[in-house]
Amino acid sequence: MKNIFGHTQFETPYALLLLLLVPILAIWLYKNRYNERAKFLYSNLAAFGNFKTLKNKIIPVLAGFLLLSIALISVGIARPRSVDVTAKTKKTKGIDIMLAVDVSASMLARDLKPNRLEALKKTAIDFIKKRPNDRFGVVLYAGEAFTQVPITSDHRIVMQAIRKINFRQLFNQLDQGTAIGMGLATAVNRLKDSKAKSKVIILMTDGVNNTGEIDPNTALELAKEFGIKVYTIGLGTNGYAPTPVGVRPDGSFRYQNAKVEIDENLLKKIAQETGGKYFRATDNQKLDKIYKAIDKLEKTEIKETKYYNYKELYRPFVLSAVLLIFLVGILRYTWLKSFV
Amino acid sequence: MTTKDILKKVRKIEIKTKRLSDHIFGGEYHSSFKGRGMTFSEVRPYAFGDDVRNIDWNVTARYRTPFIKVFEEERELTMLLAVDISASQWFGTRGQLKREMITEIVATLAFSATQNNDKVGLVLYSDEIELFIPPQKGRSHVLRIIRELVDLKPKDTQTNTAKALKFVYNILKKKAIVFLISDFIDQNYEDTLKIVGKKHDLTGVMVYDPMEKEMPDLGLITIKDLETGQAAFVDTSNSKVRRTHNAHFLKRHNYFKKAFQKAGSGIIWVPTNGSYIKKMLQYFNARN
Repeated sequence: MKNIFGHTQFETPYALLLLLLVPILAIWLYKNRYNERAKFLYSNLAAFGNFKTLKNKIIPVLAGFLLLSIALISVGIARPRSVDVTAKTKKTKGIDIMLAVDVSASMLARDLKPNRLEALKKTAIDFIKKRPNDRFGVVLYAGEAFTQVPITSDHRIVMQAIRKINFRQLFNQLDQGTAIGMGLATAVNRLKDSKAKSKVIILMTDGVNNTGEIDPNTALELAKEFGIKVYTIGLGTNGYAPTPVGVRPDGSFRYQNAKVEIDENLLKKIAQETGGKYFRATDNQKLDKIYKAIDKLEKTEIKETKYYNYKELYRPFVLSAVLLIFLVGILRYTWLKSFV
Repeated sequence: MTTKDILKKVRKIEIKTKRLSDHIFGGEYHSSFKGRGMTFSEVRPYAFGDDVRNIDWNVTARYRTPFIKVFEEERELTMLLAVDISASQWFGTRGQLKREMITEIVATLAFSATQNNDKVGLVLYSDEIELFIPPQKGRSHVLRIIRELVDLKPKDTQTNTAKALKFVYNILKKKAIVFLISDFIDQNYEDTLKIVGKKHDLTGVMVYDPMEKEMPDLGLITIKDLETGQAAFVDTSNSKVRRTHNAHFLKRHNYFKKAFQKAGSGIIWVPTNGSYIKKMLQYFNARN
């Protein structure tokens, strides 16, 4: 039971049920106020008149004191205490994740909306946001590969970098083609010195390895060597997709339906041999799901130690109850000289 | 109380009070309540010191020695003891309860009466008339009176003196000696008293406990009224409360005195720690 009195909570709230006794007891006491007591049998009560002296008036007050002390003790038994939680998150070293993103021209295909690259960017950013304890890096590759962002825990930079991936700029900078081996190897290179418990590469592609200086199988061996897990994602629908096939004089792309070709066997193999998993993203929702699945598979354990500083508050309750009882007792036997 | 206990108690009271009535009271009682007149009972030889006026000349002439006529007081008086046995009698702080003292007083009076050849009757009352024993003579009758007084459990707890007086007035056709014995924790009996007092030789005996007169400081106590059964917290440490209590007693006492005096009756009042013998002797002496 929390937050009855702000930050105060009761350890044994059931003891508060004792409070119900108080009104019952009050009624009982009132009904039996003359019974259960030593009575002086006298011949003529009327002789005393009908004075209500101070002592007469104090009797119900004393009874009230006793009831109050019972109530206070009940609260005391319930053990009220204020909690001061100092949560110290022990950040376990999260895992290191490299995102290897294919930026070949085919990534502009519109089978995912608005196109594969944009969909990927959005999903990747969401993924990063969800994993605050991990370090991320980004490798972009087409016919060749380069590291956009090295492994870092500064997620802001990583997300910004992903947002800024601009195909047109890259198109002019990079060789054309899809060098999966290059992308993977570059990512491995970035991860090889990492001391993280778990190293993960998420390799995204939409085509077949058709260029590059490093063969994907070699890159795979490298990844295995360094104990890096590779999740592979194949982007693109089954069948045909509107794919850019040329550039118009004004710079815009010419689209044409082309068969989507993904080297699934390779991707599967890479995933399998490194202990990762292969996914196929045929549309935006699928892609989202894949990232969620990876998110689940790569659970980072976060050790959070919570320090509960309890401050027991029963003392004033019990103390005042005891004081009240004493007060009643002392008054009874001294000033009142009575057994009321 | 078993019968044995009752008899034991009755016997105890008898022993105590009979001695009193024989030796101390008898004469005083006799002279206090006079009969209606003197009747001739016998003639006997004249002795020195006899009143010459009482010489029976006829008999003297016949026997040639002086004979004197002896008269005896015509007594055959009736005494009625009206006793309050309401619950308030079960109070007493000095050795005995009011009820016990009243029982002794009744026994003493009853024995004195029998000894003087008077009839004794008993009326026990509370709020109602609890018991009436018609006047009769004899020791066993007195013992019965004592037994009833020791044993009877009243049906009612309250007191109604006026009702008892009315009852007494109705049952007694001839003039009688009436003792009304009570603590007189009651009101409004003055008028009835006047009527009874006019017809009978009435005496009021008020028995009270000293604590009824002056309440000591007992602190705050729960007091339960014996008669009404009501309870209340009474702060006896408060002097105002105690003064009120005392004033109430005095008022009651004054009412008692005034009422009986107005009715032309005698009064005796005795606290439970006092000597009723002394008080009663004083009273009888004062009557002579």
